[in-house]
Amino acid sequence: MARAKIKRGSTSVDMTPMCDVAFLLLTFIILAAQFKPQEAVNVTPPSSVSNKVAPEKDFLNVTISKDNKVYLNMDPKIKGDVLDELGKERNMSFSAQDKKNFENADFIAVPFSQLKQFLALTPEQVKSSIPSLPGIPVDSSNNELTAWISAAINARMGEQLNFLIKGDDAVKYPKFKAVIDAFKANDQYKYNLVTNSKQVPEGSELYKKNLMEQRSGKKE
Amino acid sequence: MAEMEVKESSKKGPGVKKGKKHSTRVDLTPMVDLGFLLITFFIFTTTVQQPTAMNLNMPKDTKDPNLDMKVKNSGSLTLMLGKGNVIYYYYGDDPTKMQTTGYKAVRQIILDKKKSTPAADLFIIIKPDKDATYKNAVDILDEMDINDIGKYAMVDPTPDEYSLIQKTEQAGGVK
Repeated sequence: MARAKIKRGSTSVDMTPMCDVAFLLLTFIILAAQFKPQEAVNVTPPSSVSNKVAPEKDFLNVTISKDNKVYLNMDPKIKGDVLDELGKERNMSFSAQDKKNFENADFIAVPFSQLKQFLALTPEQVKSSIPSLPGIPVDSSNNELTAWISAAINARMGEQLNFLIKGDDAVKYPKFKAVIDAFKANDQYKYNLVTNSKQVPEGSELYKKNLMEQRSGKKE
Repeated sequence: MAEMEVKESSKKGPGVKKGKKHSTRVDLTPMVDLGFLLITFFIFTTTVQQPTAMNLNMPKDTKDPNLDMKVKNSGSLTLMLGKGNVIYYYYGDDPTKMQTTGYKAVRQIILDKKKSTPAADLFIIIKPDKDATYKNAVDILDEMDINDIGKYAMVDPTPDEYSLIQKTEQAGGVK
């Protein structure tokens, strides 16, 4: 009787398709990753247990640097409207060139009196002059941040605007309070403080609460 | 794909030695390993660094003292944030009885207070003074979150309290 011949299959698998997939994914991830843009002002934010991601749309960002200077930047989409509104409110006229410069600028760090000169600077010039920039005045006697915020709110005409405050660890509290006061003057009471995330300490009340929520969530 | 078909040539005579044929097939396993290793690495490194935001809601400033919130003395804990990462705290409304602590130990103080007071009475008053840093304020607000404190307020210290802090700082030699 002829024995049925068992065909001996090779144990080596063709790795080529898998290799293709791996590198395709790799290429995709590298290309799709958004690299952190070089930040103009170097700020180390404090850490908090909050796990809410900072909003990236419709934002107005107030940065307070280590040397207690206030910088302002905002969503590029709203910049044009904000400058128009600011011109109306402060009786200033901006040329088309000023407007274009403003849209290209990463941030504003000067009082209104120097705004035009500041906007005329090239990005390289701005970078080299960062240590000597005065920042936006936020003193109680002359709080120009209030005017900026009011311009931004009016330019948005009631639409949602996220207020981000990003401060350095070393910022003195009164400066932060002055920024808050500028928002308060515009009847804005909700802010997002940009922080680095940190783990909720194990065994703390919030940790237990989160755990309970997770458990009850699973039961449903 | 990675293979090439090599046709056997049979034209050679019987005495001609056959050249040894090397397989053109390459083992791709290490390359796959490397690929997935890189993918894993990129995925892990990209998701970790995401800035988060902490919500902060401030109350409206009221000029009318009748609208001010009344806090029970028995349930209040006042934390004053001073220079050099020091916290001065007191219970009730007597600032002269204030004690000193740091940012690590303050959690226990808050928890003890939380345990010993009815939830409805508990109110924590945060008073960062002129020498406190932004980090101090965020840390203490974070502490409220961690300890699940529902009611707290951030206000300025009164001049009396401020001078008291300064005296303590001078006596303690805090620069």
